[in-house]
Amino acid sequence: MHWISNLIVVLLVMGGAGLAQRLRHNRLWRHAAAELWARRRISIVVLGLFVLVALLDSVAWISSGDDSGDRVAASQPRSVIDRVFVPESFVETSYSAPFAEKGFYEDTALKHPGQHVLGTDILGNDVLYRTLKGVRVALLIGGLTSLIVIPIALFFGVSAGYFGGRIDDVVFFVMTVLASIPSLLLLIALIIVLGTGTLQVCIALGVTGWVSFCRISRGETLKLREADFVQAARALGTPERRIITKHILPNLAHLVVITFALLFTGLVLSETVLSYLGIGLDNSWGQMIDQARNELSRTPIIWWNIAGASTALFVLVLSVNLIADAVRDILDPRTLRERQ
Amino acid sequence: MLAATIIAACSNNPYPDADQDAKVLYTSFREAPRTLDPAVAYTSTAHHITANVFDTALEYHFRKRPYELIPGLVESVPSPEVREDGRIAYRFTLREGIRFHADACFVRYHGQDQRTRAVQASDFAFALMRLADPAVNSPIRSSLFAVNDFKSFGDRLVSMRMQDKSFAGLPVHEQYEMAGGIDGVLVHGTGTFEIALDQPDAQILYWFALPFTTPTAWEAVAYYDGNEGRERFADHPVGTGPFRLAAYDKQYRFVLAANEDWYGLKSAAPGSIFPSEGEAHDIASGVIDAASVGKPLPFLKRVEFRRERESIPRFNKFLQGYYDAGDIVKESFDSVVQNDRLSPEMADLGMKLEKAAEPTVYYIGFNMDDPVVGRAGGDRSRKLRQAMSLAIDAERYLKLFTNGRGVPAQSVLPPGLFGHDAGYRNPYRQPDLERAAALLVEAGYANGIDAESGAPLKLTFDTGNTTSQAKLQYQFHINAWRKLGLDVQLAVTNYNQFQAKVRRGAYQIFTWGWIADYPDPENFLFLLESSKARSESEGPNTANFKNAAYDRLFRDMEDMPNTEERRRLIVQMLEILERERPWIELYFRENYSLSHAWLRNTKPFGLTYPTYKYVDIDPVKRADLRRGWNAPVTWPLYALALLVIVLVAPGFATFYRERQ
Repeated sequence: MHWISNLIVVLLVMGGAGLAQRLRHNRLWRHAAAELWARRRISIVVLGLFVLVALLDSVAWISSGDDSGDRVAASQPRSVIDRVFVPESFVETSYSAPFAEKGFYEDTALKHPGQHVLGTDILGNDVLYRTLKGVRVALLIGGLTSLIVIPIALFFGVSAGYFGGRIDDVVFFVMTVLASIPSLLLLIALIIVLGTGTLQVCIALGVTGWVSFCRISRGETLKLREADFVQAARALGTPERRIITKHILPNLAHLVVITFALLFTGLVLSETVLSYLGIGLDNSWGQMIDQARNELSRTPIIWWNIAGASTALFVLVLSVNLIADAVRDILDPRTLRERQ
Repeated sequence: MLAATIIAACSNNPYPDADQDAKVLYTSFREAPRTLDPAVAYTSTAHHITANVFDTALEYHFRKRPYELIPGLVESVPSPEVREDGRIAYRFTLREGIRFHADACFVRYHGQDQRTRAVQASDFAFALMRLADPAVNSPIRSSLFAVNDFKSFGDRLVSMRMQDKSFAGLPVHEQYEMAGGIDGVLVHGTGTFEIALDQPDAQILYWFALPFTTPTAWEAVAYYDGNEGRERFADHPVGTGPFRLAAYDKQYRFVLAANEDWYGLKSAAPGSIFPSEGEAHDIASGVIDAASVGKPLPFLKRVEFRRERESIPRFNKFLQGYYDAGDIVKESFDSVVQNDRLSPEMADLGMKLEKAAEPTVYYIGFNMDDPVVGRAGGDRSRKLRQAMSLAIDAERYLKLFTNGRGVPAQSVLPPGLFGHDAGYRNPYRQPDLERAAALLVEAGYANGIDAESGAPLKLTFDTGNTTSQAKLQYQFHINAWRKLGLDVQLAVTNYNQFQAKVRRGAYQIFTWGWIADYPDPENFLFLLESSKARSESEGPNTANFKNAAYDRLFRDMEDMPNTEERRRLIVQMLEILERERPWIELYFRENYSLSHAWLRNTKPFGLTYPTYKYVDIDPVKRADLRRGWNAPVTWPLYALALLVIVLVAPGFATFYRERQ
């Protein structure tokens, strides 16, 4: 399976480069990118680092003649992050504080004294390694689910807004029904039915998360449908499909970008809640926080275990939110007018 | 100043001053029990009340281990006798002078001046009929099916109720009478009854040491029906015990008051005098007060239960001396217990720490029906299981996940039970990775590679617990096996899916625990008997272990009294388990309890039936220590008052100066 992950990484990198190349030739997007860089330099760098870590953790291979000493690990595909940390040997017997020389329980010297930047957890695993492993899961949850949510929401929202009538009635009814079910309960029920794999959790989050964006895109389409340029296209006999793809969707692009950013952070946080309920993903920050929560109320306190995951979560969500805020300012025509 | 004076005069003592010198034990509860009906109550909170309000025919000796049955409401512990009709019978003869607690239910049926009545053999029969009645829904109903006609009596009742609505509307004691009673429960006059069985069953006597079989007054069941403002029987126990339930407010407090009409005050029954015999170290270790020996029971006048929903305030009140005994809060464990002993700070307060292994066992099991880890693999699989057993370090597991609370298990039998050998060291339960690796080589799985196929061996650890905490615990075992090169994958599903897997037999390795119903080795060894295999009979033998020699030994051992011959058979059974390794025994749960210096006779009972009649208290010492620990710290109030004066006085001075 690891070659699929590697292939996706290659496709993502190529797709990203291609998209960047395309946007460079568009004056609007080029200016927007330049303004975004000017306004949110640190956030973009931080997010870039997270993406880099996730990509490095997604490129994995099995090397022959592995000398890690762990037969099971050597037989499994290991990512760049795994190869940097070598978790099979970079492990202690149990808890140790950041940069500690000795274990928390035993007064004996650690195998790797002073090398665990964020300490070790109850099983002796390096907390920094676990935190970095969580980046891929977080980005996967946020990214993959957004890829499920946005097309669904756009399809139904634009169809309902543009065609109106019966289609609008049906879509609106489905949206209202979904919105009236407590989303957490629906999420739990879906995960119990689908199982707890990454794709399953993303689908469950997607099913419960598309309603709000669908409502926004429907409203925006209703407005655009009556706009002069759409009326003119229709008067000139342009087919409906072409009106939607050439006139409606491009005018919803800024909404897609903003929604993606906002949705992303919400989804990463949702996974934390799911882990707290015991139905989250393995190696996620939510699971780390859940495993560490009891340690906060004990004396002496073990704080480093929860600090790693929650700091990473906080930094990622904050930087994405700051970028989203700037993107909204830059792309939203109303704020653009206000600024001018 | 007035406020400061009033506050300084206040105390944080939540109890009336009048009780200060009385022998009142204070303890707490979190949630009120759902029921106090002795036939149904099966939670530890309920047992704090039912085990003290209801007397039983037999009791456990308070000080002797292994546990020993002594006569309670009856004259002697019965032995099996063969009746004329060929059945085996246990004959119980009641003591004189046993009376129910005075209660309004007796007035209703026997007249204004009769507030109680003597206990009769028929009250035991009534209790057993209630246990057999499916409508009562007793959790131990199936455990008494060995009694002749016990099950069919229940079936008979159900069909009679379905066929005749007027019958179903009658009071239950009349229904039981019309259904003809249980053929295996024979009442002879007012003072004797017999339990008749087709085969001897030594374990049946243990049920007569539990509140389930306590004599039950039909008047109480009929009267407390929840109608016309009356309480339900589940909330209004009427028993014969050394304490009666004097107050029962589910939201706030329960009170047990000493029963002044208790039979033990008038007789010299073994359960009414503090025992002189017992474990040798009891008195030296301070868990038994030598002055109590030979004294009549009970010592306490009252037991007060206050509701405490949160563990930390409860523990803090214990530290202030307002609860006499308490459990250790997980969060404070490291500050209370250090190096397996009481911390110096707690020892300075005069506290005592008692540890008792409970009759429980937690283990990792192999599905013996599985072709890789089970019996089909023969010697190869056996060596694989032995190697995996050698890799698991239970002591380390306990240290990491239970604060060290637990005793690493060497066999399936916990301490305190007949057949447990404290000196026994299971050769496959001493962590030894080198030996484990050598066994894997012998098994043809060197470094986790199957020598026959050349492919890596992949195993699954199946669980229905999806919490992050549990995953850490499973990961601990998986990491240990990984050191041998074994690739064990964790298969986590929700509990229902896991149960379905178990039903289908689609599991390899699992983890489980067992809490004994009664302290007899049979109640643990039957978990590996082939007729109880899950794949055959949905029984509790989830490992599906089937071994003819083990079964034969089990049949010989199960109904034997605790003799040397029984011990010899148990040793042979444990040898089979040691070699075959259907389980990797992990640990026996251990209960840690803290008590203050003024509490006496705090020997842990191990079973979940707390017996307050043995506990004594020194109220004078308690009052002194409490006063010292809770002396109000008043200087901050005076400092605050001074600060107010310093801040306000210049303002007043300015105000008056300007007015003038």
